[in-house]
Amino acid sequence: MSVSPPALRLRGIRKAFPRVVAVDGVDLDLFAGEIHALVGENGAGKSTLAAIAFGELRPDSGTVEAHGTVGLVHQHFELVGRLRVWQNVLLGREPRHGWRIDTDAARKRVGDLAKANDLTIDPDALVEDLPVGAQQRVELLRELERNPSILLLDEPTAALAPAEIQGFFGTVVQLAKRGTAVLIVTHKLQEVIAFSERVSVMRHGKIVAAMRTAETSVDAIARAMVGGDLPRVAQRETTTLRPCLTVRGLRAGGKEGGIDGIDLDVASGEIAGIAGVEGNGQTALADSVAGMIPFRGSIAFSNGRKISIIPQDRHVEGLVLNFTIAENAVLGRQDLPGLRHGILLDRARARRDAAAIVERFDVRAPSIDVKVRTLSGGNQQKLLVGKALIDEPPFILAYNPTRGIDVGAAALVQSRLLEARNGGAAILLISFDLDEVFALADRIYVMYRGAIAGRFDRAGVDRAVIGRLMAGSQ
Amino acid sequence: MRRATSFISGPLGAIVLVVALMSVAMLVAGTSPIDGFSALIVGSLGGRSQIGETLVATSALLFPSLGVALAFRAGLFNIGAEGQLLVGAMLAGAFGGFVSAPPVVAVVVMLVLGAIGGGFWGAIAGWMKARLRANEIISTLMLNFVAQYLTLFVVTQWLLGPSATGAETPWLPNNYWLPTLIPHTRLSIGILVALAIAAALQFLFTRTVLGYEMRVAGEAPEAARRNGINLSRITWLSLALSGAIAGVGGATIVTGELHRFNTQLSPGYGYIAIAVALVGDLDPIKVCIASFFFGILEAGGLAMQASAQVPKDAIHVIEGLIILVLAARRYVAQRSERVEEAAASS
Repeated sequence: MSVSPPALRLRGIRKAFPRVVAVDGVDLDLFAGEIHALVGENGAGKSTLAAIAFGELRPDSGTVEAHGTVGLVHQHFELVGRLRVWQNVLLGREPRHGWRIDTDAARKRVGDLAKANDLTIDPDALVEDLPVGAQQRVELLRELERNPSILLLDEPTAALAPAEIQGFFGTVVQLAKRGTAVLIVTHKLQEVIAFSERVSVMRHGKIVAAMRTAETSVDAIARAMVGGDLPRVAQRETTTLRPCLTVRGLRAGGKEGGIDGIDLDVASGEIAGIAGVEGNGQTALADSVAGMIPFRGSIAFSNGRKISIIPQDRHVEGLVLNFTIAENAVLGRQDLPGLRHGILLDRARARRDAAAIVERFDVRAPSIDVKVRTLSGGNQQKLLVGKALIDEPPFILAYNPTRGIDVGAAALVQSRLLEARNGGAAILLISFDLDEVFALADRIYVMYRGAIAGRFDRAGVDRAVIGRLMAGSQ
Repeated sequence: MRRATSFISGPLGAIVLVVALMSVAMLVAGTSPIDGFSALIVGSLGGRSQIGETLVATSALLFPSLGVALAFRAGLFNIGAEGQLLVGAMLAGAFGGFVSAPPVVAVVVMLVLGAIGGGFWGAIAGWMKARLRANEIISTLMLNFVAQYLTLFVVTQWLLGPSATGAETPWLPNNYWLPTLIPHTRLSIGILVALAIAAALQFLFTRTVLGYEMRVAGEAPEAARRNGINLSRITWLSLALSGAIAGVGGATIVTGELHRFNTQLSPGYGYIAIAVALVGDLDPIKVCIASFFFGILEAGGLAMQASAQVPKDAIHVIEGLIILVLAARRYVAQRSERVEEAAASS
């Protein structure tokens, strides 16, 4: 590599939490002017390592040497919702005019900074009113304003549309050219290949592979991440389509994130996928179909409202963390004739069902009597999906069914969804992961600002067109 | 650090802490802890009549404590057991003091009226919460005052007994009394009713769909709502049942212990019940044990005052301390759980 010393040098970093060793003896060098990708599955220790490099967490052992200022863009936003964009970006470093903040100069500075980095943002908008994607841009702007020589980005593109991702990396590449050392923590391997120069792969707290991006492939990186061959997803079979869900003129929700006049159809034996960037009305659509919020227009099921839901937030909406696996397996199914006898809950049946879910959906747990709180996110999600699918429901609403879980668990969830479809279920899949929509959906609807911006059949899918529609252009 | 944590959060640690705190309280009150404790033990468990009194207090506490535990399990902070108990007791006293019926029928009717009165009082708060989104902590607490003055008004206006010295209904005929459980004590079979209710609650929580739904509503209301559980129904039903249990307790005090209704019949059982329910981890069986423990404090406290000159108020100081210890215990347990969770998700 280069002869100059690294901008950031990590040696023998180790960090243990009560039950896991998150980072276990990691060495990493980051050089000025390079874009270095740090990849790995959820729970591999990437975010912990980034937090240690930034100085937010103290390692149990090992050394961190940084030359220059370090900036970190968090995976979860750390913004003040009640303040405006420029106030957030310049927090603590506002330009002054005597005693007062020079608001005009501040606005201009933030506006110029955004323009210079190709980031579309209104400096006067209230942060809490902004969609998630725009909040991410504010977060990035705030770090850029500090002009860091080392920039750590933790899953920076998670909430961005494809077009925005291009723009975002345009910004990052420019920064690197000007000499910034960039470390990107991500699990989107396409981005790694397209934009990074080197890639380090973490698994179980260790760096298991370090390679030059030019000499590797998405496949090789993915295999290093999971430590073996990638799990295969179930085959798509031919099905006979019968209408199941018909939505016409649906209006719901408020001004932000609401929906305004949506028509869509989901047939039995198909997966209809909603592609779109977070905050474009997906939640309002899901909640009205689930009957959770009032709506106008019509939502009609051709064979009765027997719907099964994989909700977006497994911790709050889907599971009771303090209950055992066996107890959670009942949730949402407590009124089924097989589980309920008069006022009584059939506990033996509940335990049999729990065991069946654990077995079929590969939920890894010491027993069905452990609290769900103690399971990993992937295993919690498999349980959640398992209880939604175990009764072979005619209609399934799946909202981000694989968000934040490891590749193996995601492949299993996707396989089971495809199998349900092959078996004749109608599935409405809402996902912020475009690759997932492409992989699973028979029919794709693109949502933008509460409306359907485009509709595609699997055969006629054009990624570029869909990407543009998601960003609001034609 | 870890060993200290598990010691404090274990039951043994809690007992040691409570005893230590009690000793300090006694020293402050000017008595040697040894004298104080022996007076407490002798006064509560030292003989048949002492045990009887302890169990009378246990019984009086157990009903509202079970009621409070039920509501808490459903995520509803019912602070109103006192009022629910009073309204139930008044209905029972009104029937017993004024209506003639075959004795067994009368006793049963009194208990049922207790349940109806307390249940109605709890259901008011439940309805306010389900319909008007009124915070149940405020409404149940305020309804205590309404109950206190309403019963006072109703009794002095319409139900006053001939020999009353305060706001009291007439004496119940002898054959309306609940049978005595231990001869030569004041302990009635009311305590068996309480134990039966505890068993029924255990059954409710572990075997029935309603109990399951209540627990989900208590642990994760949003998950309940999204999984087909009608939260409004759970809310009013839980508060009504909770109040009904406290109300039956009021009725057993009337027919089993005092043999008439007096507006002063509860020295705050409904409030102490909150502590008892928490000490008992909201678990029906453990609440029974906790009630016995608090029964010892209630009954022994009087003896302690008489023979060791520790003011009975010291007992209330101790009860407050116990709640503090337990709250700390919960906090410690929750915090260590959260740390592990953060680690698991990193």
